[in-house]
Amino acid sequence: MPSPLVRVEHVSRVFAMDHSGVKALDDVSLRVGAGEFLAISGPSGSGKSTLLNLIGCLDRPSTGQICIAGTDLSTLSAAQLTQLRREKIGFVFQTFNLIPVFTAAENVEYPLLVQQVPARERAARAAAALESVGLGKRANQRPDLLSGGERQRVAVARAIVHRPSLVLADEPTANLDTHNATQLIDLMRDLNRTLGLTFIFSTHDQRLLEHTPRIVRLTDGRIASDNQGESHDQVLAACVS
Amino acid sequence: MTKFLLLAFRNVFRNRRRTLMTLLMVGGGVAGLLLVGGFFAFMFRGLRESTIRNGLGHVQIFTAEHFTRDEVHVLDTGISDWTKVEQRVRAVPHVRGVAPRIEFYGMLSNGVKSSVFMGSAVNPSTERDMGFTPNVVSGRDINASSDGEVEALVGTGVARSMNVKVGDGLTILAVTADGALNGMDVQIVGIVNTGFKDLDDRYLRITLPSAQRLLQSDRVTNMVVGLDKTENTDLVAAALGPRLQGLSQPMAMRKWIDLAAYYKQVRTLFSGIFLFLGIIVFFMVLMASVNTLLMAMFERTREIGTMLAMGTPRAWIVALVMLEAALTGLLGAAVGLVGGNLLGSALNASGLHLPPPPGSNVPMLFNVLHVPGIMIGSAAMVMVSLALASILPAIRASRLQIAEALAHV
Repeated sequence: MPSPLVRVEHVSRVFAMDHSGVKALDDVSLRVGAGEFLAISGPSGSGKSTLLNLIGCLDRPSTGQICIAGTDLSTLSAAQLTQLRREKIGFVFQTFNLIPVFTAAENVEYPLLVQQVPARERAARAAAALESVGLGKRANQRPDLLSGGERQRVAVARAIVHRPSLVLADEPTANLDTHNATQLIDLMRDLNRTLGLTFIFSTHDQRLLEHTPRIVRLTDGRIASDNQGESHDQVLAACVS
Repeated sequence: MTKFLLLAFRNVFRNRRRTLMTLLMVGGGVAGLLLVGGFFAFMFRGLRESTIRNGLGHVQIFTAEHFTRDEVHVLDTGISDWTKVEQRVRAVPHVRGVAPRIEFYGMLSNGVKSSVFMGSAVNPSTERDMGFTPNVVSGRDINASSDGEVEALVGTGVARSMNVKVGDGLTILAVTADGALNGMDVQIVGIVNTGFKDLDDRYLRITLPSAQRLLQSDRVTNMVVGLDKTENTDLVAAALGPRLQGLSQPMAMRKWIDLAAYYKQVRTLFSGIFLFLGIIVFFMVLMASVNTLLMAMFERTREIGTMLAMGTPRAWIVALVMLEAALTGLLGAAVGLVGGNLLGSALNASGLHLPPPPGSNVPMLFNVLHVPGIMIGSAAMVMVSLALASILPAIRASRLQIAEALAHV
């Protein structure tokens, strides 16, 4: 088996709280290969967002090891983690998190701005990314003039514009209606297939889970099930139950 | 970098009402300093010019001895070769005139009452040519050539205390250069208001030949040099040095600023007041701006978390906050400069007068000078204030824990 893009080994995350610790993740191990489309499912408080934050280098585990593309994150400095996020990871957030004073195109350009890509190339790549999510004609609109679905598509364009190896999406459909949620799921699946992008997202949205070939189910900070090598229907049934 | 600047600029106008209030506060501080500083500058200039035109002149020439020993007799350390000094000084560019003077003192009497006077003897036509015209409130100025009678100007205080008016006579008594007592009858041709009560109570002015006759000396106390512009004082003083060499007496000179003790005291006092006001405005802007910037950062916690998640270096976040503060300072300063100058011009046009200042009896014109130094200084002050105000919010923003910031509601 080729080395996985993401490797999580015996990771725990304990948050200090009122003289005691709250264990958000407990001995979680997980391997995600390049090009996978993986959902992390589970009830609220099961540790989905915590796991995504750890994989996204936004937080550090209390114990255990996480490797991205073969690099052990615990060996990296804060600046190196920032660089890794900048170059290898795209983020999609539940509440879109667009910069409100930027237009859609400027929002999509932002990761390239941080990478100090020349202005002309930035504009061209942002336009192409917006086109790929079907928002080429809305490029000059500010987020407050876009619908929820459009905002999330802008966020997806922003997450893929710098050609990351990995896109992390935290509850991407939670604030969308069925129509927009379906469109977004199709878009993410399409980008996964056509560009070979690896998607890891947290969700308990049944609509999204139905389109997901691999589902990791968390309960109380532990992996309750992972359908890698199992039937999709089995895991889906467990998620629904 | 343009995009980053654009982001900062748009962020400044994100909450328009708050930004407007901040700009009004910063601008108000700058405008206030411009008005106060401009008025003080007008006051300093007025005091400077009135001090010079009241007879101080721009440069005064004395014998070197004048500063090294006290006079045993009047005019003991006076200038004997003063016509030669006058010729040499007149040849210097920017010199408008040279006025020989005798400063003396003595007693004056109307036959019933006596009083001390501080006398000044001048060449009236030379003084007038140099613009050193006394403020005659009644009668006229003295003339160089008069038929027999010695003409005199007295201060308003002298006229009041001696109960004399224009046309009345007085007797003046003074000690001569030889130490003897000499007297002279003078006729009052004018009454003068110098603007300074203490001086008005002792003021007497006669012609130079009259004083030389009274004091029985052909010397003068000093030579007062008048220039075309006060700003040329240093230039002329530098040129005068070599020209005063090789005379029968070693000479020394003093610039007006060295002799204007009252002007210096007033300037020091009001500069201190202005500095105090500046410090108050500085801290006012600082405190209010820290609060505004912290509020803005708090509201944007999740956005900053998102930027950090996308790999924005923390130094960029610091730079962004400081850039926003700098832009606010720049705009506030611009508002203040425009507002302050417009308000200053409006006040100047209104012809407003203030009550007479202490020691004066003349109402003071309220005028605001547009001084580039004050404009630059005030603008720089609020910029520095805003820069300092941004440090705490910038550090806080850059130290956000990304995961916590993203969960911020």
